[in-house]
Amino acid sequence: MISNSSRIVAAVEIGTGKIAVLVGAITRGRSLNIVGVGVAPSRGVMKGEVIDYKAACEATHHALEMAEKRAGARIEEVWLAQTGGHLDGFYNEASVNVKSADNTVTALDIASVCALAKEKELPPGRSRIHEIRRPFRLDGRAVPDPEHLSGRRLEVGYWIVHGPESKVSDNIHVVGGYHLEVRELVLASLGSGALLTTADERAQGALVIDIGKGVTDYVLYRDGHVLVTGTLPVAGDHLTNDLSIGLRVTPAQAEMIKLRHGRGVVVTRDKADKVWLNGDASFGDRQLPKLAIETIAAARVGELLEVVRQKLGPAFSPEHCGAGVVLTGGTAKLPGIEEAATRVFGLPARRGEAPSWVKDELKDPMFSTVLGVFQFGLRTAHEHALPPRRKTGLLSNLTRIFAST
Amino acid sequence: MSNAPENPPPPGRSWRNIRQEVQPVAMSRRGRRRRQLAWLKAGVLLTLAAAGGWGVHLAVHAWGHDRAALATAVHSDPVREVVLITDGVLTRAWVTAALALPRPSSLMALDLPTLRNRLLAHGQVRVAVLTRKFPDTLVVTLQERTPVARVQAADGAGQPRQLLVARDGVVYDGVSYDRQMVAGLPWLDGIRLVRTAAGFEPVAGMEDVSALLTTAQLQAPHLYREWLIVSLTRLAAADEIVVRSQGGMEAVFSRRRDYFKQLAQLDYVIDRTRETPAAPALLSVNLALDGQVPIRVQEEAPDRAPGVGPGFSHSNSQRKAKRDL
Repeated sequence: MISNSSRIVAAVEIGTGKIAVLVGAITRGRSLNIVGVGVAPSRGVMKGEVIDYKAACEATHHALEMAEKRAGARIEEVWLAQTGGHLDGFYNEASVNVKSADNTVTALDIASVCALAKEKELPPGRSRIHEIRRPFRLDGRAVPDPEHLSGRRLEVGYWIVHGPESKVSDNIHVVGGYHLEVRELVLASLGSGALLTTADERAQGALVIDIGKGVTDYVLYRDGHVLVTGTLPVAGDHLTNDLSIGLRVTPAQAEMIKLRHGRGVVVTRDKADKVWLNGDASFGDRQLPKLAIETIAAARVGELLEVVRQKLGPAFSPEHCGAGVVLTGGTAKLPGIEEAATRVFGLPARRGEAPSWVKDELKDPMFSTVLGVFQFGLRTAHEHALPPRRKTGLLSNLTRIFAST
Repeated sequence: MSNAPENPPPPGRSWRNIRQEVQPVAMSRRGRRRRQLAWLKAGVLLTLAAAGGWGVHLAVHAWGHDRAALATAVHSDPVREVVLITDGVLTRAWVTAALALPRPSSLMALDLPTLRNRLLAHGQVRVAVLTRKFPDTLVVTLQERTPVARVQAADGAGQPRQLLVARDGVVYDGVSYDRQMVAGLPWLDGIRLVRTAAGFEPVAGMEDVSALLTTAQLQAPHLYREWLIVSLTRLAAADEIVVRSQGGMEAVFSRRRDYFKQLAQLDYVIDRTRETPAAPALLSVNLALDGQVPIRVQEEAPDRAPGVGPGFSHSNSQRKAKRDL
C-alpha cells in the first residue's frame, strides 16, 4: 500500500550483465517499502560504461517500465548506482587552527576545515561523485564531532570519488531518456557495503568486494568509516574469456562451463576426471578435463583478488580488518571463492547475505547493489537537502506535476 | 594543509552540475510515451483548474449582479408539458391537478420532493418519480396500487362512501377505474377502519385475503364471480376467512392451508352436491379443517331446474352483477 505522503523512488543499477530496478515508497524520508522490481538483460554497456546509448536506453527503460507496472505507481526520482573502471578516488585532508580565544571548536571552524579538505581541484572534465568524510582529528585524537571541544588544531580528510563527466553523464542521460531525474548518485560498492555489513563490522574493519560481470567494486571500512573505494574493470567476463581461450570453446559455452564447473580453488586431483561440454549428446559435444577448468578459473579468481589487494595498497592491513572479507555479486556465487579470498587476504571470507528485513525474492546477490543504494541513500539523504515530505492538495500536486514535466 | 581562509572557495564541479535534460530525439519510445502521458496529465489538470477558476469567476459575478440566478444554478424555461408514465389508470389531467404547479414556474425552480409528496398523498399512487427533462418538460413516472376489495365507510358528513383496498391493506379513493371492474370486487366485512390524518390505517391481514382472492380469480373464476362478501371477523382469532356468495352460501377458508387446494375442494363439493338427486342448496362449507369438509345443506331443495348448483349461477357466461350494498 502506497500512502499519499510517500515518495516513489527507483534504485537503478545499469550493470554490464543486467539492469536491476527496485521501486520503493519512502515515507517520512526514512521508512522504505519495496513495491516493484524490474530486471532486464543489459545491452550497450561494457565494464560499467555506456558504449551504445540506444541499446542501453532500451534495456534500462524496459526494466524501469516493468518495475513501474509492478509497483502500480509512477516513479518520481531515481537513485542511480554508479560503477565502472572510469571511476577513481583520492584522499585529501586539511587542517585549521581553532580561532576562538578559549580554543573551543565552533561550527565555523568545522565548516572551514571541511571546505578546505574538499577544495582540491579535479583534472579538467571530471566530476565529483562522492565526498566521504573520515573522522575529525582534534590535536591528533579522533573525535566524531569536535564542536564545543577544546583544542588547537582541527584536521579532517575526505575520500573523494570522481569520474569523467562525459561517462557519468551518459549514465544519467540513459535514465533521463525515460523522463526521469537522477536525484542521487551512489557508488555501487558503497551500496553493497552498506547492505551487507553491519555497523559493528564496519567498526571492526571490513572489506566488501562486489564481483560483477564486467567490473569489480570494492570498499574498505575502518573504524566505521569508508577508507578506500575502488573499481576494477576485471570481473566474471574475464573468467569466461580465459575459459573460452584455454579450453577452445565459444564464449557461450565457456560461460556455461563456468557456471557448472568453475571454482575459486582447485579441488580436483584426478587428471582423468572429465566433464561433457554440452552434456546433451549433440554433435560436437566433447569431454573437457575438469582439472583444467578449475585451474583456469581459480587462477583468474586469484589474480583478480590479488589485483584488489594491490590496489588497496598500504590502506589494507589484516589487523585492521577484523570482520574479514565479504564477497558479493554474480561471480561471488562461484564455489570456493571464499577460500580463494582467505588465501589472498589472510582473513576469513564469506559470501554477503542480505539482512533479514529483505524479502526472500530480493536476497539474490543481483539485488545487493540496488538494495544497498536505497540503504545508503536513506542514510545520507539529509546531506543533500532532499525535498520535504510530499504535501497533498491540488496546488501542491499541480506544482509537483509541472515541476516533473 | 593550510589555514582556513575567510571565504573558502567552492569545491570542484559536482555530478549535480551535469545537465540532466535529454533531447526528445535521444529519448526512447517508452520515454517519449511517458513524457506525453505526463504532459497529458498536466494538461488535464490545467484544464480542470481553469474550468474551476472560470466557475468561481461566474459564481462571484452572479453573486454580485444576479443572486437569484445562483438559486436556480442553471437557466431553464417554464414548464410547458407534464408527461405521465404509469402502470395504472391515472390520467395526465389528474396528475396535473394533483401537482398543482404554480404558474409560471421554471423547470429548475420546481421543488421535486414536495411535488412527489403531493402525489404520494393519494393512496392509489404507490411510487412516484419526478424528473426534469430540459428545457421545459416534467416527466412523472408512477406505479399504482391495484384494488383487491372494496369497503364502505362514512365520510365527514356521515354519508356512505365506497373505498378500495389494495393488496398491502391501503384504503383509498379509487380514481379513473372501470366501473364494471370495481363492481366485480367483493366487499370487505368484519374490519374496523381507523382514521388518520392522511386517511385510514392499512387493513391488517390483507396479504392473506389478497392471496385467496387472486388464487380464486385465476384458478376458479366461476366461483370468484359469485363471491359477494369477504369477512375478516375470524381472521385474527382463528386464521379463517369467511366468504359469502350471492346464493347465500358461506365458505370458510383457512389461511394456514393452501388456497388452491381449498378452492378445489369447494369446487368438488359444489359439483357433488349438484349431482345428487335431491340437489340440496349448500348453506355452508368449512374448508379450514384438514382431512374433512363439513357442509350444511338446506333441508328442502328449492324449486329449480335439475343440475343447477345450489347458490351458484348455472352458466359461466351468464354472470350476475354483484349487488351494491
